[in-house]
Amino acid sequence: MPIGLELWLFGVALGTSMLGGVLGMASGIFIVPVLTMFGRVDIHTAIGASLVSVIACSCGSAAPFLKERLTNIRLAILLETATTSGALCGVFLAGLIPTHYLYLLFAVILLLSAQQMLARRKDPEGSSSIQRLPLGMTLMYGAGLISALLGIGSGVLKIPAMDTALRLPIKVSSATSNFMIGVTAAASAAAYFARGEIVTSVAAPIALGSVAGAVLGAHILMNVPNEKLRLMFIGILGLLAAQMLLAAFGINLIGPRS
Amino acid sequence: MNATAAVSGQLENLLGKLLHYGTLAASAIIALGLALSVAAGALGMGVATAGIALFILLPALRVAVMLVFFLRARDYRYGAIAALVLLIISISFFVGTRQA
Repeated sequence: MPIGLELWLFGVALGTSMLGGVLGMASGIFIVPVLTMFGRVDIHTAIGASLVSVIACSCGSAAPFLKERLTNIRLAILLETATTSGALCGVFLAGLIPTHYLYLLFAVILLLSAQQMLARRKDPEGSSSIQRLPLGMTLMYGAGLISALLGIGSGVLKIPAMDTALRLPIKVSSATSNFMIGVTAAASAAAYFARGEIVTSVAAPIALGSVAGAVLGAHILMNVPNEKLRLMFIGILGLLAAQMLLAAFGINLIGPRS
Repeated sequence: MNATAAVSGQLENLLGKLLHYGTLAASAIIALGLALSVAAGALGMGVATAGIALFILLPALRVAVMLVFFLRARDYRYGAIAALVLLIISISFFVGTRQA
């Protein structure tokens, strides 16, 4: 294993995890496209490493939110029955879906994330009591499924579930979603690990970089208004979506040709 | 209601500590493994793999702590919910071992 590649993986994880942590998104949404596009890493290896990174981010940044009482742990464990069921389903499906469909699905999720960023999140009007739980549970099941298939935290589905279906304040839903992401990713990572599909030489530097980034990102979340990073996020998400879309059709403009 | 709030505050502190120190331990093991791999190759990678395993185990441990806490607080409804989540994670692991 060349040390240069390990350092590069560490750096990618550090940067993406800081970016992701700031808005309560897991960094997997950046890690898989960056590793496959720029690092020429196999998409399944990238997904396995990304799942470990997602767990590391979630665990590494949970403590401050718990201390601030922003995390709704009872709601989290309830919704985790849906996210882990979805993840288990994703574990079964993962081996059956052809790689170019994974790229396509990833592009769709990136575009949805960009659209969500563009629309801005608002604190729901009126009471913050939990409403429309069945819709929330259904979205969470989908989030778990997508998380297992693509190695991401699925904030893109968790956030509408929290905001629209459950009507929680943004800070509470971000903290709760972040808390749940670790368990959701662990449900699929456990299967990938048992299958021997998590490649240590890739996953280890990614996990280490993610922890460092998540710790820094969590501190930034407390101080920086979400607004400032919105535009940057939309731009990056759009670019990555375009590249994943090209990859779905077998075109890669960046890096050496495979 | 106040008693419940105090109890959940306790649980939040406990989970915060578990995740914080668990992350530190897993990261330290991975860092040690990567450092060793430069010198000793496969041995180092084995240590790093153990660190990755600890990371994957950490959320499951968090659910197990919640399960024990809910049962001790005689909150059987949430105890059952935590047990279900733990069961689903275990099924996923065993599905993986059978497919390996």
